[in-house]
Amino acid sequence: MRPTTPVMHRASLATDSTMLFRRIVLCALLVGALAGSLLSAIQLWQVIPIIHRAEHFEQARTSQMTEPAREVTHGHKDAGHAHPAGEWEPAEGAERMGYTLLANVLTAIGFALVMLVGMASSLKLNYVAKLDWRYGLLWGVAGYAIFFVAPSLGLPPEIPGAATADQQARQLWWLLAVVCTATGLAVVAFSKIRWRWVALGLLVVPYLVGAPHLATGPFADYPPPVAAELADLAQQFFWATALANALYWLVLGSASAWAVRRFLKEAVT
Amino acid sequence: MQNQTSVAATPRAATVSTTVSKGLQLTTAFLLGAVILFAAGFVSTSAVHNAAHDARHAQGFPCH
Repeated sequence: MRPTTPVMHRASLATDSTMLFRRIVLCALLVGALAGSLLSAIQLWQVIPIIHRAEHFEQARTSQMTEPAREVTHGHKDAGHAHPAGEWEPAEGAERMGYTLLANVLTAIGFALVMLVGMASSLKLNYVAKLDWRYGLLWGVAGYAIFFVAPSLGLPPEIPGAATADQQARQLWWLLAVVCTATGLAVVAFSKIRWRWVALGLLVVPYLVGAPHLATGPFADYPPPVAAELADLAQQFFWATALANALYWLVLGSASAWAVRRFLKEAVT
Repeated sequence: MQNQTSVAATPRAATVSTTVSKGLQLTTAFLLGAVILFAAGFVSTSAVHNAAHDARHAQGFPCH
């Protein structure tokens, strides 16, 4: 007689063994769709109009340039938003907004995956007493600090048309700020060692290294009155994005905590 | 006899396998999130950049 019981155990084990992953992905899709849509709505109201105004100045500058100068601008990878002719870009209006919504939702799904894994891990390691709304907001605040505040203190969100340092250098610094802040906060929050507060020192490391910036400033290519107006727009953009992302992260944190309590708690513990 | 041995050994194997598997699932989910974030926020391919342009600017990702 063939031993059937172990085979049955293995079959049910295979189903159980991927349940946590599948549930995390489904929760991330749900949380990401909610938070990404909300962020898009807020951006449509107070962020996107600033982008359009900045692009107006950028396009005016590009059209004023002589052909050789324009080629130089296009050849310079960080000179501004104007793109070489022939490249695909979404049509103005609904199509552009649709792609922004898609990108916001995708980004929110990515952040939700990371946050749900963080919450589930802390649950698995018994760091969580109660999965209430305060717990969700706390995670939201942490996410905002890690992924928006820390990078923005060195590299404020840019408006189109601003000249910037090398993109890869800025992306590397962004990663450094995120990793240092996340590690510092995680050690303080979850470590049991006596000297865990020392890890807060990691939070200042990115600023000691210094974010990459151009020596000439972001609007040196523009006439002084336009440069002053763009500097004002950049300031408005900073506060508009700070507000939009704060609300976004609070929703992301709260919704993730709800999803963990509702769908993941039993699968992870 | 052979059946009894297999059944008795199953619970321990199941416990170990599930424990390892949860860590692996959490890691996989984290990596999936990182890949999505990289695609949405960092990839500099022209079409991807142009599609995600406003979202990148508005979320503070370094853009062009």
